[in-house]
Amino acid sequence: MEGSSSAAREDGRYLRRLKAACTGDADARLVFLCNFEAEEQWAVGHTGLPAPKFPVSAALVRRMEELGATLAGPRDVLLLSAPLDEDFRAHARTAGAALPEVLVPERAAGSASTAQAVLDSPHALAELTRLAAEGAWLMPMGTSPLEQRVAEVTGLRLAVPDSATFERVNSKIYGRRLAAEAGLREVPGDTCEQVGQLADALRSRYPAMAGGRPVVVKDAYGVSGKGLVVLESQEKAERLLRMVGRRAERTGGHRLEVVVEEWLPKRCDLNYQLTIDRDGRVEFDFVKEALTENGVHRGHLMPSQLGEGQVAELREAAAAIGKALYADGFAGIAGVDAVLGADGVLYPMLEINARLNMSTYQGGVTERALHPGHVALARHYALTLDAPCPLDRVLDALGPLADPGGDPAFGGARLVITCFGTLNALAGDSAGAPFTGRLYAVLFAPDRDLLAAADAAAEDALSRIASRGEPS
Amino acid sequence: MERSETIVVIEKCLTEVLKHEVTGLREDLRLFDDLHLDSTSVLELLMVLEDTVGLEIDPENLDMDDFRTVGSLADFVERSLDGAS
Repeated sequence: MEGSSSAAREDGRYLRRLKAACTGDADARLVFLCNFEAEEQWAVGHTGLPAPKFPVSAALVRRMEELGATLAGPRDVLLLSAPLDEDFRAHARTAGAALPEVLVPERAAGSASTAQAVLDSPHALAELTRLAAEGAWLMPMGTSPLEQRVAEVTGLRLAVPDSATFERVNSKIYGRRLAAEAGLREVPGDTCEQVGQLADALRSRYPAMAGGRPVVVKDAYGVSGKGLVVLESQEKAERLLRMVGRRAERTGGHRLEVVVEEWLPKRCDLNYQLTIDRDGRVEFDFVKEALTENGVHRGHLMPSQLGEGQVAELREAAAAIGKALYADGFAGIAGVDAVLGADGVLYPMLEINARLNMSTYQGGVTERALHPGHVALARHYALTLDAPCPLDRVLDALGPLADPGGDPAFGGARLVITCFGTLNALAGDSAGAPFTGRLYAVLFAPDRDLLAAADAAAEDALSRIASRGEPS
Repeated sequence: MERSETIVVIEKCLTEVLKHEVTGLREDLRLFDDLHLDSTSVLELLMVLEDTVGLEIDPENLDMDDFRTVGSLADFVERSLDGAS
């Protein structure tokens, strides 16, 4: 496969720019640790909405760390809890990914996170200490106490700020305050730090709810549909207040860190990225349309169909947000969620995710495969399987869509898989019982109609694998 | 409450939470994998269950095993109602 690959031998422009901003050196060697569970670490000690303690698909979220494979360069190192599938490596190379060196800590099995696995693994620690001596940097998705510990123990310099800074600037309460101070147009809402404040914030909106305008309550440290509840009626709001009030009485703690926002009728959700370099210079990277369903992230469409004036407004917002984040000690990459209201009004700051984002990791693939004037959709396909599904079955099902040349039936549309480990991540848990896996991909096409048709074809092809089950 | 009545209550609650009609539930259906409940909808389900059957549930004390299937949730509801009476 090596001989036929079209993999780059050098870092792309996007990665070089990221390295230059975060380390001051475009040629820096990075050790990627894509800890998609970072928010859970920052949330420790912050009381949010009542929630069951059991983790939902933690094993699957963890395997999203493989998304780092198509961003990292050939001299970089990617820390993973399991090796990259060989067929996936070959597939990624056909899409131009150079692929980093992969380091799997020897005690990864059964560990709670990859950072913890590193800390438990003497060989991995020794290897990282060697890389640190050679000048490598640690690039986590965001620094939690665990990644900070990895940096301290190995001597790897952090390419991004420390854990305390990440925790401070990733609270949604912090985000709303920043937007207010920066004079950005805010989605109507309130920040709450006490149970009583939530009651006031909700009850003041009962007339609006009765008029058909729901509100959403979000944990200060919730992510992607977790720690979020949409309230369409006074009745439902009172249910939540009863539950929150009971907990406060039981524990004697009346602290509650949430934001309340009106659920705006919208034309589309948006996601843009900014990069703040170590000297505080702020760069606007891109804006994409975000596909969401009840507040849960479903994918990204790029480029967005915003007008020049709207993009200019987002650039101004990015500059203001970047300046404020830098003043508060943050540098590196931040994603911002925004909303274009149904009335055409742009709300440039719904939420700041001051860390690498899904979009950040897609940057390498889109830089290589998105042709000028063409469009792309990044999403995941959910497959219900009975047994682990090898990549060649996925590629067979997709047919020409997954070929480097694309599918002529859809104007040359092409699907590139960006994370395969998530497809079978839950297979071990259910011992023969069906499980749902996710296949992350970016789909490229000449226009939005062909993109939609190719997406529907991919969805159909993949659903047939799912229903066929594992051949004996 | 008869078992079939408990299942009907769960169907009603899930209909409200998932915003589509849920009927004819089998007890072995899994709440997360088959019915696509997630951590957000669990909180909503608990709130609706409270209102519908008058249970007071503390989400933080829940056991994952109670929420594996329709059947285990029915067991949990029945046990909680017995405990409350």
